[in-house]
Amino acid sequence: MIAYLITIATLVALASLVGLGLNLQWGLAGLANFGIAGFYAVGAYTVALSPVPGVPALGLAMLACLGLGALLALLTARLEAEYLAIITIGFAEVVRLVSLNEGWLTNGALGLADVPSPVGFLPAGWQPLGFLGFALGMLLASFAVLEVLARSPFGRALRAVRDDDVVAATLGKDVGGLRVRAFALGGAVIGLAGGLHAQFLSYIDPSQFTSIVTAYAFMAVIAGGRGSNLGLILGAGSIFLLLESTRFLKDVIPLLDGTRLAALRLMLVGAGIVLLLILRPDGLMAEPRRLSRQLSPLKEP
Amino acid sequence: MPAQLAFSGLVTGLILALPALALTLTFGIARFPNFALGAMVTTGAYLAWAANVLAGLPLLEAAVLAALGLALVAMALDACAFRWLRERDGMTLMVASIGLSFVLENACRFAFGNDARSLAVEVARPMRWHGLRINHEQLTAAATVLVLLVLMHLLLHHTRLGRAMRAVADNAPLAAARGIERGRIVSLTWAIAGALAGVAAVLIALDRAIDPLLGWNFQIPVFAAAILGGLGSPVGAVLGALLIGLAEELSALVLPTQYRQAVGFGIILLLLLLRPHGLFGRAVIRR
Repeated sequence: MIAYLITIATLVALASLVGLGLNLQWGLAGLANFGIAGFYAVGAYTVALSPVPGVPALGLAMLACLGLGALLALLTARLEAEYLAIITIGFAEVVRLVSLNEGWLTNGALGLADVPSPVGFLPAGWQPLGFLGFALGMLLASFAVLEVLARSPFGRALRAVRDDDVVAATLGKDVGGLRVRAFALGGAVIGLAGGLHAQFLSYIDPSQFTSIVTAYAFMAVIAGGRGSNLGLILGAGSIFLLLESTRFLKDVIPLLDGTRLAALRLMLVGAGIVLLLILRPDGLMAEPRRLSRQLSPLKEP
Repeated sequence: MPAQLAFSGLVTGLILALPALALTLTFGIARFPNFALGAMVTTGAYLAWAANVLAGLPLLEAAVLAALGLALVAMALDACAFRWLRERDGMTLMVASIGLSFVLENACRFAFGNDARSLAVEVARPMRWHGLRINHEQLTAAATVLVLLVLMHLLLHHTRLGRAMRAVADNAPLAAARGIERGRIVSLTWAIAGALAGVAAVLIALDRAIDPLLGWNFQIPVFAAAILGGLGSPVGAVLGALLIGLAEELSALVLPTQYRQAVGFGIILLLLLLRPHGLFGRAVIRR
């Protein structure tokens, strides 16, 4: 039971990291990324193929996703944000095709095994707990960095671009540049999550990187409240637990097999996304805003 | 060999033209790219399979049922989701459409499982004509699409409904001022888009197996076609679809066939770099 709880907690930490990345891209900058599964896979494969293990491998994964994110965003920097969303789907598709077909690199559908764990030095019994601590540390570090970013002038400029890019541009903000940086940074965080995924399971294959990763991330960001990192972590946690608990439905309803259950879960996620968008557009926790009354009043001259 | 590939490419392009037209029509009228289109095509294919194989209806009747059924599904999507988000930005609608895509695709998976299914099609020897091999399914597909395209042209340009649709797409407040009910027109546009996607689904399922990712795999080429034609332009979408179909099939000359699906993506990338408003679209200065 303890082992199960540790596994679940680790998976929640990874899902929260993906959500944090999307929250920067979509929540803060207004750039929907439908190719999250692609970034996640690139992160995982980079770690699995990396010549160095541990934290440096995670750094490589982040760099790879940073570069790819910047490239995709640069291509569409001058266009409506819809175009970026379309090419992210294409990107994820290309990643999937490469991971399936370039056997010399990715070992095709068989996947790559024996990804070294960053906590391999611990005695075997303590490794799951050690990895959970490691993943939580990464989550906390990313959370701190992203929270500082969101409250910095950079974060404010991103919100301005998201809410009205024309006004932001008129005020002299470099709309294209801001978007590229936000998208690339968000991509790096998703890459980090993918890398941790590879280290956690120590075995990866293309079937692990499907649109379910994308669906969970959007659900988490919408439920948590777009732009709010804290809400996001709460959202990711509660959704993951809610969906995980459907696993036990199998014992109650005999008709449900594994495939049906997985399908049912994704149906719930999809319906949840739409319902929350309609009913609670601000999510559990609204984005932190400074209201004019919280600012110190202007002094009369 | 190139002639054979070019012929297959034209037929593929004609089949792509229907969902591309559906995408561009709903984009024109609701102002967001509908990412649930792929899942709609999957749903249409399963509807046809259920009517054809489970209920034992002839193919033609199954196709008509699939088109009508998917038209109802599309109207339901509008009534349950898109209508409530109409006043919000395109990005919100887009994310809602991907949510609906998860719902539809997995409803199919829930009902029919992951196994590949196929329609009850009689296997016939392909015809030969000047060295070209022509399948019966290819002829059926080409003829069906051409008839539908003519009907769509007549609908858009020679009926009150078509004029109303174009008016709402062009300028919704102005159309409302002339007494055109926006909600009804939008709903009918979704129905037409659904029916087109349903017919396309049947034509696709004629020569390949039906599985839950059937439509998703068409998402990229269909979007490529609609962008190539300039989003919102019906004629452009059809021409774009023909070009994408040709490019996909002819790519077999230079690319390994596993990467066929990436051709559409490559074309989108090139287009966004060189002619972001499409080959046939007008340049609209927005930013």
